[in-house]
Amino acid sequence: MKKALLISLMVILALLVLLPFLWTFSTSLKPLNEVNKYPPEWTSVNMSLKPYSDMFFYLPFSTYTLNSLIVAFSSTILTLLIGSLAAFAFSRFQFAGKNVFLLIFLLSQMLPGASVIIPLFQLLQKVGLYDTRLGLILVHTAFLLPFVIWLLYGFFLAIPRDVEDAALIDGCSRMQALRKVILPLALPGMGATALFAFLGSWNEFFFALLLTSSDSTKTIPVGIGLFVGEYLDVWNQMAAAAVLFSLPPLILFMFTRKTFVKGLVAGAYR
Amino acid sequence: MKKSLPYLLLVPALLFTVFVLVYPLVQNLINSVCDVSMIRGSNGWVGLHNYERIFNDTLFWHSFRNTAIYAIVGTLLALLVGLGFALLLNMKLGRISSIASFLYTIPWVISPVVAGFAWKWILNDRFGIVNYWLASAGIVKLGTSWLGDPGTALFCVMLARIWQFYPFAMVMFLAGLQTIPQEQYEAAAVDGATIVRRFFYITLPNLKSVSSVLLVLGVIWSFNDFNMVFVMTRGGPMNSSMVLPVLVRELSFVHFDLGRGSALSIVIFVLLVSLSYLYLKLIGGRESA
Repeated sequence: MKKALLISLMVILALLVLLPFLWTFSTSLKPLNEVNKYPPEWTSVNMSLKPYSDMFFYLPFSTYTLNSLIVAFSSTILTLLIGSLAAFAFSRFQFAGKNVFLLIFLLSQMLPGASVIIPLFQLLQKVGLYDTRLGLILVHTAFLLPFVIWLLYGFFLAIPRDVEDAALIDGCSRMQALRKVILPLALPGMGATALFAFLGSWNEFFFALLLTSSDSTKTIPVGIGLFVGEYLDVWNQMAAAAVLFSLPPLILFMFTRKTFVKGLVAGAYR
Repeated sequence: MKKSLPYLLLVPALLFTVFVLVYPLVQNLINSVCDVSMIRGSNGWVGLHNYERIFNDTLFWHSFRNTAIYAIVGTLLALLVGLGFALLLNMKLGRISSIASFLYTIPWVISPVVAGFAWKWILNDRFGIVNYWLASAGIVKLGTSWLGDPGTALFCVMLARIWQFYPFAMVMFLAGLQTIPQEQYEAAAVDGATIVRRFFYITLPNLKSVSSVLLVLGVIWSFNDFNMVFVMTRGGPMNSSMVLPVLVRELSFVHFDLGRGSALSIVIFVLLVSLSYLYLKLIGGRESA
């Protein structure tokens, strides 16, 4: 009895929590005349995937999607490359100033976007990278790096030194040891880290909004976030864009829940 | 070579950090004491004039107040909601709890832009489902514009923010709950303590350190939050929901006054550094405890 009560409470709460998404999903399948209808209805016989194709056809979402994919993938790869070098240095060497460097990376993570946006805007404009995907990739990389370094640092530390020492004795150089021994062992951790980096760039809105201006460089969140002023009436197409855009994070979250939650908890105590 | 290797490995990462940390801060300081316009370029030194204008601007103080309410009240409420959900999930109903915790975490995983969009749409004055329900129940008049009313706009954005942040608190509290030694509860049960007393004398004290970390972290993050406010109201109507990060964009990219925008950035930075210091103290204290 008590169990049944608890379960029904859980179901009701889940519906309440998911209400904004469920309503957006319902909207994304309706034709426009039923979106603007009172009283509103959850389902209709005219539901179809048409808003999804319309959004790619009438709104510039195919370009936005391509941009989002390019920016997120490039930032992830770049961050992981640079981050694993730094994390390797931190986890395998003792050197003067190590704690200072670690602290710098910790602090730069606390940095509010609003307090650096103007100089970044000025700099990108000066070097001709304003309103380019490359400019956005560099900024995303810079902002993801500290977090990625801290995550990888933890993963690298967990790899026993003995394995690496054996490789060194067998005649590997330090860099070979990194490439042939540490990286393969750290692969699961690096996968999780790549996921965080990808989602961080994929969902990022503030810099993407303020460092781009033309449709050919905007990412999906910018398209959705700016919609209020631009495509005021097509709620169904915008809802379709929002649903599609949410799929990668949702799917990644579904398959990596354990790592995700662990990272969440560890991240807060970094 | 051997000695310099770790430094060489750090060079690329440091270059990027200089690019987002050191350079912007120095440039911001320079901007903030100059008259810099996005259109006319820089017109040289003006001393503390930009700061003076900010501190004499009622909009700044209004936004500051909004930001503080949004960050502090919003975080406190999100922590309460998160604790409630964590306690529910901790009832250990096996597979059902696991599915529920997945569903309850979704708002945290989804992009804040999508979250803002979805909330804006359910709160829509004419076609939103919330207004339809409330009007059907006779609670409000049809066509009540929650986001268009200066009296309720900030409150609505805060509601969306709470909804987005509580899963984080929930996950952290759940982890905290699972570390409380079961013997404490058993001993209390033997002594005849009621559920309520066990909650206040065992559960809550054990969650103290998690709560303080969550509180400071939540306040820092919400203090910095640009996305939810921008997507839902852009600070309006009539600046009623304006917060500091949105005001930076307003000054710099709408009024093209980069000097004043930079001065405001510095003010935000100082506020944030103080909060971060508090946070570092907290996790530092936790580790040594």
